[in-house]
Amino acid sequence: MSSGMQGNRGAVQASNYGLWKSLVLAVCLVIYLIVLPAYFAESRYVLRVITTASVLSFISLGVWLTFTIGRINIGQGAFALIGGYTTAILSTKLGVSFWVCLPLSGLVAGLTGIIFGLGILRLKGVYFAMITLSLTEAVRLGFLSGGDFTGGAPGIPNIPLPDELKLFGITLVPDFGEVDTHIAFYYLGAVLLILGLAVIWRISSSRLGWIFESLQQDEELSRSVGINVARYRVMAYAICCFYGGLGGAFFTVSQQSIYPSVFGVPDSLFFILYCFLGGLAFVAGPIVGAFLLFILFELLHELQQYQQLIYSVIMISIMLWLPNGLLSLRLPAASWRSRNIRD
Amino acid sequence: MALLAVENLEKKFGGLIAVNDISFEVESGEIFTIIGPNGAGKSTLFKLITAFTRPTAGRVIFRGEDITRLPAHLVARKGVVRTFQETTIFKEMTVVENVIVAHHLRSRASSFGFFVNSPKARRDEERFRESANSIIEILGLDAVRNEQARNLPHGYLRELGIAIAMAAEPKALLLDEPFSGMNPEETDRVVDMVRGIRDRGITILLVEHDMRAVMRISDRILVLNFGSMVALGTPSEIQNNESVIEAYLGREDDELGI
Amino acid sequence: MNYALIALGLTLIFAIMNVLNFAHGQMYVLGGFITYYALRVLGLPFVVGLVASVAVLVLIGMLSERLLFRRVIRVSTREESTMLLAAGLALLLESLILLFFGEKQRGMPPVISGVYQVFGVYIPAGRAFIFAIALASLISFVTFMQFTRPGRALRAIAQDKEVTALQGVNINRYGALGFALGAGLTGLAGSLLATVFAVNSGLGTAVSIKAFIMVMLGGAGVVSGAIAGAFVLGFLESFGYAYIPGSMTYMLIFAGMIIFLVFRPQGIMGKPWG
Repeated sequence: MSSGMQGNRGAVQASNYGLWKSLVLAVCLVIYLIVLPAYFAESRYVLRVITTASVLSFISLGVWLTFTIGRINIGQGAFALIGGYTTAILSTKLGVSFWVCLPLSGLVAGLTGIIFGLGILRLKGVYFAMITLSLTEAVRLGFLSGGDFTGGAPGIPNIPLPDELKLFGITLVPDFGEVDTHIAFYYLGAVLLILGLAVIWRISSSRLGWIFESLQQDEELSRSVGINVARYRVMAYAICCFYGGLGGAFFTVSQQSIYPSVFGVPDSLFFILYCFLGGLAFVAGPIVGAFLLFILFELLHELQQYQQLIYSVIMISIMLWLPNGLLSLRLPAASWRSRNIRD
Repeated sequence: MALLAVENLEKKFGGLIAVNDISFEVESGEIFTIIGPNGAGKSTLFKLITAFTRPTAGRVIFRGEDITRLPAHLVARKGVVRTFQETTIFKEMTVVENVIVAHHLRSRASSFGFFVNSPKARRDEERFRESANSIIEILGLDAVRNEQARNLPHGYLRELGIAIAMAAEPKALLLDEPFSGMNPEETDRVVDMVRGIRDRGITILLVEHDMRAVMRISDRILVLNFGSMVALGTPSEIQNNESVIEAYLGREDDELGI
Repeated sequence: MNYALIALGLTLIFAIMNVLNFAHGQMYVLGGFITYYALRVLGLPFVVGLVASVAVLVLIGMLSERLLFRRVIRVSTREESTMLLAAGLALLLESLILLFFGEKQRGMPPVISGVYQVFGVYIPAGRAFIFAIALASLISFVTFMQFTRPGRALRAIAQDKEVTALQGVNINRYGALGFALGAGLTGLAGSLLATVFAVNSGLGTAVSIKAFIMVMLGGAGVVSGAIAGAFVLGFLESFGYAYIPGSMTYMLIFAGMIIFLVFRPQGIMGKPWG
């Protein structure tokens, strides 16, 4: 058995996988962007569910990135809040267009993330988890006590819908008030998710991804070969918070209001759960997790009081039997892993 | 000018003095070994030189530059790279991946470049791959290059640790007990390997217990005891040095290995 | 004082299993509700209610450890799994509480009526009684940990699991014990405090967070740490509520804690971790 032949077979296999992957991806995109909205155009409820799941996945992608540097980040809720309030305050008090608010919210969240990150990233494991958990609560309380500026407990209502986005005289996006808002938000959410996924996937499969991986496995060793551990840790964390901020901004305009309890500890925990369910080794993990769990949650809505009960039973069952995530079941890790080095 | 100079280095932990007023110089191309009974402060000295811990007094000078206050990753960047005693490796990657990742220092692209896979980044990857391949060959890891590091048989772990350090293109390589736990054959192999690395122009500092290997391979030896310098000289000088023999008296005889 | 009990329970579980028991708050609430039920609905004396609470919680602790945690720890590759499992458990307990005990806030009359006068300050007898029980429990707990064999085994495990296992200690059994004990302590705390403040099903998360703060401030995994943390938090709380508007208090506590932890991550008494 010559290695040449093996190599060939390997190459053919690899290109088959590659083809398969692209095909599946294309089909998913078509379904996501065209089939679903067309089919459910009349059903606002379904559209809203998918939109929400999309943006929740988006936010969870950020948390996923912090997993890659070996941290358990239960603080994403805080940054969603920060992003949300940024948009709320800017658009209601200063009349800033949503399309400016959106990136700004991300930036504010990201910058705040850098500041916190510099302090807390030296912690690991449970300690980091506990402190990020406290962060979620602290930020919530902060906004609660913000007096007039943040609107206190009732928060900020009447947040305007996204307006027109014009570039060089061409209307890229129409004013949300003039179209079917559900479809509009659907697409906004979809674009956010697709772009967000692409970026995270790219980061993770690039050298940056390898650096993060090395941090996850052994920070001291990384340090000894010259990797500026502090810098890359903060980088990953800041990107995570950026995603959180963007997601928060989205929800603020889609609900047209924001109040301190919009994102709390349970939400931060859910983001983690979504990543977990899908499988932490896979970029698409959080998306699978979020969609599945959120839709499940909605389906259980019928059952009212038993909803939470069943949900928790499901959660526990997942931990018992599928602790490495769903995706790890069917797909061999090698081909779908976000990074692979072909030798 | 000496490659590496240590001046009056001191490290105190609370009331305990781990390293006490140590000074020495290492010439370029030397194999310089630090020996001493357990607890003599050898590993602490290593950590001080590579900035994994801060001295309470003294300086470390590398190629004429004071590197005492630099953070660990910058010290590595300057060319002083260490290996770890408990053979530290990236367990969840293959051998090849371990070595490639360790090339980080030598990248010329920026973080953004990594992200967009700029031409610089791509050229980096090429260089890293070639360099990794040659390092793997030199250290005899070729047979296991695609093995998961955590599955590696124990004999290869040390080589991998050294390979990782070498990827950082050190000018001074600090090996922490490279011969520990080895039988005579393995020791011979590592002796050759270390000499081979030195012949490539890398200065080597060793911390070691195995006296046979130390005597064979070292150009000069520094003896520590209770954190202080006991003697410094060539192997033959050290072997005949009274204070050295005294320092080892009362310990196991086979520590002397003579 | 009661805070100390809660914190101890959490620290214990953490130390033994390296699990962050998210369900801690819910266990507390459960303890309170069981006592309430025994007292108000069944009309049993307080002591019975107390014992019932503790018993039930100990049982829950043991079951959780045996059925759930042990398996997850074995099967999963990452340590986050146990945390999420605990979170799931928290949700489960909370839903069960809601189902069985309803949403309303429940109060109980003080166990002993009347007022004592101590050093010129009026202390309700009920509170004094609770305080006494809590103090007694605390002392017996510390004694247990220090002087009895199981106690020392637990502490040894907290220090170094592997070495202790090598010495022939059955880690599994002690894991169950630790968890049960931790749960029991919390149930006790819930039961006691329910007579002073009321219980409602929503308290769970808040209590958990307070427990975390205490453990983080004081140092996780160390008994003295939990006690220290409890005192600090109790003090900060009273101080804060007296001078600052309600919600600000906790925000400041959080902010302060985060800053404190940045500089001293092991807490007041904790062992420096790697």
